[in-house]
Amino acid sequence: MLQPKKTKYRKAHKGRIHGKATSCNTLDFGSFGLKALEPDRITARQIEAARRALARGMKRAGRVWIRMFPDVPVSKKPAEVRMGSGKGSTEYWAARVKPGRVLFEVDGISRAIAEQALALAAAKLPIKTRFVARLGE
Amino acid sequence: MSKIINIKAAARSKAGKGAARAVRRTGMVPGVVYGDKKSPENVSFTYIALEPHVNTGRFLSTLVDLEVNGNTIRAIPRDIQFDPVKDRITHVDFLRLGKDARIAVDIQVHFKNQDASPALKSGAVLNVVSHTVSLYCPADFIPDEIVVDLTGMQINQSIHLSDVKLPDRVTSASRDDVTLCAITAQAKEEEVVADAAVSAEVPATNQKAPEAAAAAAGGKPAAGAKPAAGAKAAAPAKGAAPAAGAKAAAPAAAPKKK
Repeated sequence: MLQPKKTKYRKAHKGRIHGKATSCNTLDFGSFGLKALEPDRITARQIEAARRALARGMKRAGRVWIRMFPDVPVSKKPAEVRMGSGKGSTEYWAARVKPGRVLFEVDGISRAIAEQALALAAAKLPIKTRFVARLGE
Repeated sequence: MSKIINIKAAARSKAGKGAARAVRRTGMVPGVVYGDKKSPENVSFTYIALEPHVNTGRFLSTLVDLEVNGNTIRAIPRDIQFDPVKDRITHVDFLRLGKDARIAVDIQVHFKNQDASPALKSGAVLNVVSHTVSLYCPADFIPDEIVVDLTGMQINQSIHLSDVKLPDRVTSASRDDVTLCAITAQAKEEEVVADAAVSAEVPATNQKAPEAAAAAAGGKPAAGAKPAAGAKAAAPAKGAAPAAGAKAAAPAAAPKKK
Protein backbone atom coordinates (compact mmCIF):
# COMPACT_ATOMS: atom_id res chain seq x y z
CA MET A 1 0.00 0.00 0.00
CA LEU A 2 1.08 3.58 -0.59
CA GLN A 3 2.50 5.61 2.27
CA PRO A 4 5.17 8.30 2.65
CA LYS A 5 8.81 7.20 2.96
CA LYS A 6 9.42 9.71 5.71
CA THR A 7 7.39 12.43 7.33
CA LYS A 8 8.23 15.69 9.07
CA TYR A 9 5.67 15.06 11.83
CA ARG A 10 4.32 11.72 13.05
CA LYS A 11 0.72 12.78 13.59
CA ALA A 12 -1.62 15.22 11.85
CA HIS A 13 -4.69 17.22 12.83
CA LYS A 14 -8.02 15.86 11.69
CA GLY A 15 -8.75 18.85 9.43
CA ARG A 16 -11.76 19.52 7.21
CA ILE A 17 -12.06 19.30 3.44
CA HIS A 18 -13.45 22.51 1.99
CA GLY A 19 -13.94 23.73 -1.59
CA LYS A 20 -13.27 22.25 -4.99
CA ALA A 21 -10.03 20.91 -6.45
CA THR A 22 -8.00 23.71 -7.98
CA SER A 23 -5.27 21.42 -9.28
CA CYS A 24 -5.27 17.89 -10.69
CA ASN A 25 -8.77 18.54 -12.06
CA THR A 26 -8.04 17.79 -15.73
CA LEU A 27 -6.74 14.76 -17.60
CA ASP A 28 -3.00 15.38 -17.90
CA PHE A 29 -1.59 11.95 -18.76
CA GLY A 30 -4.15 9.48 -20.06
CA SER A 31 -7.18 9.61 -22.32
CA PHE A 32 -9.75 8.49 -19.73
CA GLY A 33 -10.09 9.01 -16.02
CA LEU A 34 -12.17 8.97 -12.88
CA LYS A 35 -13.17 12.26 -11.27
CA ALA A 36 -14.27 12.73 -7.65
CA LEU A 37 -17.63 14.41 -7.11
CA GLU A 38 -17.55 14.51 -3.29
CA PRO A 39 -14.99 15.45 -0.64
CA ASP A 40 -13.64 12.66 1.54
CA ARG A 41 -10.55 10.92 2.89
CA ILE A 42 -9.53 7.94 0.75
CA THR A 43 -7.40 5.41 2.59
CA ALA A 44 -4.32 3.69 1.17
CA ARG A 45 -6.20 0.42 1.40
CA GLN A 46 -9.06 1.77 -0.74
CA ILE A 47 -6.61 3.17 -3.30
CA GLU A 48 -4.87 -0.21 -3.55
CA ALA A 49 -8.19 -2.07 -3.88
CA ALA A 50 -9.29 0.32 -6.63
CA ARG A 51 -5.95 -0.01 -8.42
CA ARG A 52 -6.17 -3.81 -8.39
CA ALA A 53 -9.75 -3.75 -9.67
CA LEU A 54 -8.69 -1.33 -12.39
CA ALA A 55 -5.69 -3.45 -13.46
CA ARG A 56 -7.86 -6.55 -13.55
CA GLY A 57 -10.61 -4.76 -15.47
CA MET A 58 -8.08 -3.57 -18.06
CA LYS A 59 -6.88 -7.19 -18.48
CA ARG A 60 -3.34 -5.96 -17.80
CA ALA A 61 -3.20 -3.89 -20.97
CA GLY A 62 -2.63 -0.13 -21.16
CA ARG A 63 -1.30 2.10 -18.43
CA VAL A 64 -2.61 3.52 -15.15
CA TRP A 65 -1.76 6.73 -13.31
CA ILE A 66 -2.76 7.19 -9.66
CA ARG A 67 -3.23 10.92 -9.10
CA MET A 68 -3.62 11.00 -5.33
CA PHE A 69 -1.29 10.02 -2.52
CA PRO A 70 -2.19 9.02 1.04
CA ASP A 71 0.00 11.46 2.96
CA VAL A 72 -2.22 12.12 5.99
CA PRO A 73 -1.61 9.86 9.01
CA VAL A 74 -4.90 9.01 10.72
CA SER A 75 -4.50 8.03 14.37
CA LYS A 76 -6.66 5.84 16.58
CA LYS A 77 -6.67 4.75 20.21
CA PRO A 78 -6.52 1.02 21.01
CA ALA A 79 -9.69 -0.80 22.14
CA GLU A 80 -10.73 -0.56 25.82
CA VAL A 81 -8.55 2.43 26.56
CA ARG A 82 -9.76 5.30 28.70
CA MET A 83 -9.84 8.79 27.25
CA GLY A 84 -6.82 11.04 27.75
CA SER A 85 -3.14 10.08 27.83
CA GLY A 86 -2.47 11.75 24.51
CA LYS A 87 -3.17 11.04 20.88
CA GLY A 88 -3.31 7.46 19.65
CA SER A 89 -0.83 5.97 17.24
CA THR A 90 -1.12 6.03 13.44
CA GLU A 91 -3.72 3.53 12.24
CA TYR A 92 -3.70 4.16 8.49
CA TRP A 93 -2.76 6.69 5.82
CA ALA A 94 -5.30 8.63 3.79
CA ALA A 95 -5.50 11.10 0.90
CA ARG A 96 -7.70 14.15 1.30
CA VAL A 97 -9.74 14.48 -1.89
CA LYS A 98 -11.75 17.51 -2.98
CA PRO A 99 -14.57 17.33 -5.55
CA GLY A 100 -13.27 17.75 -9.09
CA ARG A 101 -9.99 15.89 -8.55
CA VAL A 102 -9.00 13.30 -11.13
CA LEU A 103 -8.23 10.18 -9.07
CA PHE A 104 -7.10 7.72 -11.74
CA GLU A 105 -6.11 8.06 -15.38
CA VAL A 106 -5.76 5.29 -17.94
CA ASP A 107 -4.52 5.09 -21.51
CA GLY A 108 -3.79 2.48 -24.17
CA ILE A 109 -7.23 0.83 -24.03
CA SER A 110 -10.55 1.36 -25.76
CA ARG A 111 -13.23 3.62 -24.30
CA ALA A 112 -15.56 0.68 -23.61
CA ILE A 113 -12.92 -1.22 -21.58
CA ALA A 114 -11.87 1.99 -19.79
CA GLU A 115 -15.48 2.72 -18.74
CA GLN A 116 -15.91 -0.84 -17.47
CA ALA A 117 -12.60 -0.94 -15.59
CA LEU A 118 -13.04 2.49 -14.01
CA ALA A 119 -16.55 1.51 -12.87
CA LEU A 120 -15.01 -1.49 -11.06
CA ALA A 121 -12.43 0.83 -9.45
CA ALA A 122 -15.11 3.35 -8.48
CA ALA A 123 -16.96 0.64 -6.57
CA LYS A 124 -13.97 0.38 -4.20
CA LEU A 125 -14.02 4.08 -3.32
CA PRO A 126 -16.12 5.76 -0.60
CA ILE A 127 -17.25 8.66 -2.80
CA LYS A 128 -19.33 9.31 -5.90
CA THR A 129 -17.21 9.56 -9.04
CA ARG A 130 -17.68 10.22 -12.74
CA PHE A 131 -15.98 8.82 -15.84
CA VAL A 132 -14.17 11.53 -17.80
CA ALA A 133 -12.58 11.42 -21.27
CA ARG A 134 -10.27 13.73 -23.14
CA LEU A 135 -12.23 16.14 -25.38
CA GLY A 136 -12.67 14.68 -28.84
CA GLU A 137 -12.07 11.06 -27.75
CA MET B 1 -6.33 23.52 -42.82
CA SER B 2 -9.32 23.54 -40.51
CA LYS B 3 -12.47 25.33 -41.56
CA ILE B 4 -13.60 28.62 -40.03
CA ILE B 5 -16.62 28.51 -37.76
CA ASN B 6 -19.11 31.28 -36.97
CA ILE B 7 -20.16 32.03 -33.41
CA LYS B 8 -22.61 34.74 -32.39
CA ALA B 9 -21.67 36.82 -29.38
CA ALA B 10 -23.15 39.74 -27.49
CA ALA B 11 -21.09 42.63 -26.17
CA ARG B 12 -21.22 43.25 -22.40
CA SER B 13 -20.13 46.42 -20.71
CA LYS B 14 -18.82 45.38 -17.30
CA ALA B 15 -15.69 43.38 -16.59
CA GLY B 16 -14.70 41.48 -13.46
CA LYS B 17 -15.87 38.46 -11.55
CA GLY B 18 -19.14 40.03 -10.35
CA ALA B 19 -20.20 40.88 -13.90
CA ALA B 20 -19.05 37.47 -15.16
CA ARG B 21 -21.09 35.71 -12.47
CA ALA B 22 -24.13 37.80 -13.38
CA VAL B 23 -23.74 36.66 -16.99
CA ARG B 24 -23.46 33.02 -15.88
CA ARG B 25 -26.65 33.35 -13.82
CA THR B 26 -28.52 34.19 -17.02
CA GLY B 27 -27.28 30.94 -18.61
CA MET B 28 -24.69 32.64 -20.81
CA VAL B 29 -20.93 32.13 -20.93
CA PRO B 30 -18.71 35.18 -20.41
CA GLY B 31 -15.69 35.70 -22.65
CA VAL B 32 -13.14 38.23 -23.77
CA VAL B 33 -11.56 39.14 -27.11
CA TYR B 34 -8.11 40.71 -27.02
CA GLY B 35 -5.02 41.25 -29.17
CA ASP B 36 -4.06 42.93 -32.46
CA LYS B 37 -3.06 46.09 -30.56
CA LYS B 38 -6.68 46.98 -29.81
CA SER B 39 -8.43 47.30 -26.46
CA PRO B 40 -9.99 44.13 -25.04
CA GLU B 41 -13.70 43.60 -25.58
CA ASN B 42 -15.97 41.75 -23.15
CA VAL B 43 -18.47 39.44 -24.78
CA SER B 44 -20.91 36.70 -23.84
CA PHE B 45 -22.13 33.60 -25.65
CA THR B 46 -25.07 31.28 -25.39
CA TYR B 47 -23.99 27.90 -23.99
CA ILE B 48 -25.43 26.03 -26.95
CA ALA B 49 -23.39 28.11 -29.39
CA LEU B 50 -20.10 27.07 -27.78
CA GLU B 51 -20.53 23.52 -26.49
CA PRO B 52 -20.59 21.54 -29.78
CA HIS B 53 -17.41 23.24 -30.97
CA VAL B 54 -15.61 22.73 -27.65
CA ASN B 55 -16.54 19.05 -27.55
CA THR B 56 -14.74 18.38 -30.84
CA GLY B 57 -11.43 18.61 -28.94
CA ARG B 58 -9.81 20.87 -31.54
CA PHE B 59 -11.55 24.11 -30.60
CA LEU B 60 -8.26 25.75 -29.57
CA SER B 61 -6.84 25.26 -33.07
CA THR B 62 -9.93 26.39 -35.00
CA LEU B 63 -10.38 29.84 -36.50
CA VAL B 64 -13.57 31.61 -35.44
CA ASP B 65 -15.51 34.46 -36.96
CA LEU B 66 -17.14 36.17 -34.00
CA GLU B 67 -20.25 38.18 -34.80
CA VAL B 68 -20.45 40.88 -32.14
CA ASN B 69 -23.27 43.40 -32.65
CA GLY B 70 -23.05 43.22 -36.43
CA ASN B 71 -19.24 43.32 -36.63
CA THR B 72 -17.24 40.25 -37.58
CA ILE B 73 -13.98 39.62 -35.74
CA ARG B 74 -11.53 36.94 -36.94
CA ALA B 75 -10.14 35.30 -33.81
CA ILE B 76 -8.79 32.06 -32.39
CA PRO B 77 -9.78 30.60 -28.98
CA ARG B 78 -6.84 30.87 -26.59
CA ASP B 79 -8.21 29.43 -23.36
CA ILE B 80 -11.33 27.67 -22.08
CA GLN B 81 -12.14 27.47 -18.39
CA PHE B 82 -14.32 24.69 -17.02
CA ASP B 83 -16.07 24.11 -13.71
CA PRO B 84 -13.86 21.46 -12.05
CA VAL B 85 -16.79 19.31 -10.88
CA LYS B 86 -19.52 19.77 -13.50
CA ASP B 87 -17.14 20.36 -16.44
CA ARG B 88 -19.36 23.16 -17.74
CA ILE B 89 -17.71 25.96 -19.71
CA THR B 90 -17.27 29.00 -17.45
CA HIS B 91 -15.15 31.35 -19.59
CA VAL B 92 -13.58 31.60 -23.05
CA ASP B 93 -10.65 33.77 -24.23
CA PHE B 94 -10.25 34.74 -27.88
CA LEU B 95 -7.18 36.23 -29.57
CA ARG B 96 -7.98 38.75 -32.29
CA LEU B 97 -6.02 38.00 -35.45
CA GLY B 98 -4.54 40.66 -37.70
CA LYS B 99 -3.55 40.30 -41.31
CA ASP B 100 -0.76 37.74 -41.93
CA ALA B 101 -0.58 36.85 -38.27
CA ARG B 102 1.63 33.94 -37.20
CA ILE B 103 0.65 32.23 -34.00
CA ALA B 104 1.66 29.34 -31.76
CA VAL B 105 -1.13 26.75 -31.60
CA ASP B 106 -1.46 23.43 -29.76
CA ILE B 107 -2.27 20.78 -32.38
CA GLN B 108 -3.55 17.31 -31.51
CA VAL B 109 -1.33 14.32 -32.25
CA HIS B 110 -2.92 11.14 -33.57
CA PHE B 111 -1.24 7.77 -33.88
CA LYS B 112 -2.10 5.44 -36.77
CA ASN B 113 -1.13 1.94 -37.91
CA GLN B 114 -0.85 0.54 -34.38
CA ASP B 115 -1.58 -2.90 -35.82
CA ALA B 116 1.43 -2.61 -38.10
CA SER B 117 3.84 -2.35 -35.17
CA PRO B 118 5.28 -5.78 -34.22
CA ALA B 119 5.97 -4.57 -30.67
CA LEU B 120 2.40 -3.40 -30.05
CA LYS B 121 1.11 -6.65 -31.54
CA SER B 122 3.17 -8.66 -29.08
CA GLY B 123 1.78 -6.85 -26.05
CA ALA B 124 3.98 -3.78 -25.65
CA VAL B 125 2.39 -0.50 -24.55
CA LEU B 126 2.19 2.71 -26.55
CA ASN B 127 3.15 5.43 -24.09
CA VAL B 128 1.78 8.71 -25.45
CA VAL B 129 4.07 11.40 -24.06
CA SER B 130 2.49 14.39 -25.84
CA HIS B 131 -1.18 14.43 -26.77
CA THR B 132 -0.66 17.88 -28.33
CA VAL B 133 2.32 19.74 -29.79
CA SER B 134 2.85 23.47 -29.91
CA LEU B 135 3.43 24.60 -33.50
CA TYR B 136 4.16 28.00 -34.97
CA CYS B 137 2.13 28.60 -38.13
CA PRO B 138 0.29 31.26 -40.17
CA ALA B 139 -3.17 31.95 -38.76
CA ASP B 140 -4.81 31.01 -42.04
CA PHE B 141 -2.93 27.74 -42.30
CA ILE B 142 -3.41 25.79 -39.09
CA PRO B 143 -3.01 22.02 -39.53
CA ASP B 144 -5.95 19.88 -38.36
CA GLU B 145 -3.76 17.29 -36.68
CA ILE B 146 -0.31 15.75 -36.68
CA VAL B 147 -0.41 12.11 -37.70
CA VAL B 148 2.29 9.75 -36.46
CA ASP B 149 2.79 6.46 -38.28
CA LEU B 150 3.71 3.57 -35.98
CA THR B 151 4.50 1.05 -38.72
CA GLY B 152 7.48 -1.14 -37.84
CA MET B 153 8.01 0.33 -34.36
CA GLN B 154 9.91 -1.90 -31.92
CA ILE B 155 10.13 -1.96 -28.12
CA ASN B 156 12.15 0.90 -26.56
CA GLN B 157 11.84 3.02 -29.70
CA SER B 158 10.45 6.51 -29.46
CA ILE B 159 9.23 9.12 -31.93
CA HIS B 160 10.15 12.78 -31.63
CA LEU B 161 8.70 15.79 -33.40
CA SER B 162 11.79 15.95 -35.63
CA ASP B 163 10.87 12.49 -36.97
CA VAL B 164 7.52 13.79 -38.27
CA LYS B 165 7.24 15.75 -41.50
CA LEU B 166 5.48 19.02 -40.74
CA PRO B 167 3.47 20.92 -43.41
CA ASP B 168 5.06 23.87 -45.21
CA ARG B 169 5.34 27.14 -43.24
CA VAL B 170 4.75 25.22 -40.00
CA THR B 171 7.55 24.97 -37.43
CA SER B 172 7.85 23.75 -33.87
CA ALA B 173 7.22 26.40 -31.22
CA SER B 174 9.42 24.57 -28.74
CA ARG B 175 13.20 24.81 -28.64
CA ASP B 176 13.52 21.17 -27.61
CA ASP B 177 12.79 18.18 -29.77
CA VAL B 178 9.52 17.10 -28.17
CA THR B 179 9.00 13.38 -27.56
CA LEU B 180 5.65 12.33 -28.98
CA CYS B 181 5.47 8.69 -27.95
CA ALA B 182 7.53 5.72 -26.82
CA ILE B 183 6.91 2.00 -27.00
CA THR B 184 7.63 0.26 -23.73
CA ALA B 185 7.37 -3.30 -22.49
CA GLN B 186 4.28 -4.21 -20.49
CA ALA B 187 4.97 -3.20 -16.88
CA LYS B 188 4.81 -6.03 -14.36
CA GLU B 189 2.55 -5.58 -11.38
CA GLU B 190 4.68 -4.53 -8.46
CA GLU B 191 3.63 -4.70 -4.88
CA VAL B 192 4.38 -1.41 -3.18
CA VAL B 193 6.22 -2.28 0.00
CA ALA B 194 5.67 0.02 2.94
CA ASP B 195 8.79 1.65 4.30
CA ALA B 196 9.86 -0.02 7.52
CA ALA B 197 11.03 3.22 9.12
CA VAL B 198 7.58 4.74 9.13
CA SER B 199 5.55 1.59 9.67
CA ALA B 200 7.55 0.63 12.78
CA GLU B 201 4.79 2.17 14.86
CA VAL B 202 2.15 -0.42 15.82
CA PRO B 203 -1.36 0.47 14.55
CA ALA B 204 -3.90 1.19 17.27
CA THR B 205 -6.04 -1.83 16.44
CA ASN B 206 -3.07 -4.15 17.03
CA GLN B 207 -2.30 -2.59 20.41
CA LYS B 208 -3.80 -3.85 23.66
CA ALA B 209 -5.17 -1.89 26.56
CA PRO B 210 -2.76 -1.85 29.56
CA GLU B 211 -5.16 -3.94 31.70
CA ALA B 212 -5.71 -6.52 28.99
CA ALA B 213 -2.00 -6.66 28.35
CA ALA B 214 -1.34 -7.35 32.04
CA ALA B 215 -3.91 -10.17 32.04
CA ALA B 216 -2.33 -11.71 29.00
CA ALA B 217 1.10 -11.58 30.71
CA GLY B 218 0.18 -14.52 32.97
CA GLY B 219 -1.34 -13.11 36.17
CA LYS B 220 1.76 -11.46 37.58
CA PRO B 221 0.73 -7.83 37.64
CA ALA B 222 3.16 -5.12 38.51
CA ALA B 223 2.95 -3.32 41.85
CA GLY B 224 -0.28 -1.31 42.03
CA ALA B 225 -1.97 -3.19 39.22
CA LYS B 226 -5.19 -5.15 39.67
CA PRO B 227 -4.45 -8.86 40.07
CA ALA B 228 -5.67 -10.95 37.18
CA ALA B 229 -8.03 -13.93 37.56
CA GLY B 230 -5.23 -16.41 37.08
CA ALA B 231 -3.25 -14.98 39.99
CA LYS B 232 -5.07 -17.14 42.58
CA ALA B 233 -3.65 -20.31 41.13
CA ALA B 234 -0.18 -18.99 41.76
CA ALA B 235 -0.92 -18.33 45.46
CA PRO B 236 0.44 -20.92 47.94
CA ALA B 237 -1.89 -23.57 49.43
CA LYS B 238 -3.35 -22.98 52.93
CA GLY B 239 -0.92 -23.97 55.67
CA ALA B 240 2.00 -24.37 53.44
CA ALA B 241 5.07 -22.30 54.06
CA PRO B 242 5.17 -19.36 51.78
CA ALA B 243 7.86 -19.36 49.18
CA ALA B 244 10.59 -16.81 49.39
CA GLY B 245 9.39 -14.84 46.41
CA ALA B 246 5.67 -15.05 47.23
CA LYS B 247 5.55 -11.72 48.98
CA ALA B 248 6.85 -9.91 46.04
CA ALA B 249 4.23 -11.48 43.79
CA ALA B 250 1.33 -10.38 46.01
CA PRO B 251 -0.22 -7.03 45.22
CA ALA B 252 1.21 -4.35 47.47
CA ALA B 253 -1.70 -1.96 47.44
CA ALA B 254 -5.14 -1.48 45.95
CA PRO B 255 -5.06 -0.28 42.35
CA LYS B 256 -5.51 3.40 41.90
CA LYS B 257 -8.28 4.21 39.46
CA LYS B 258 -8.04 7.18 37.13
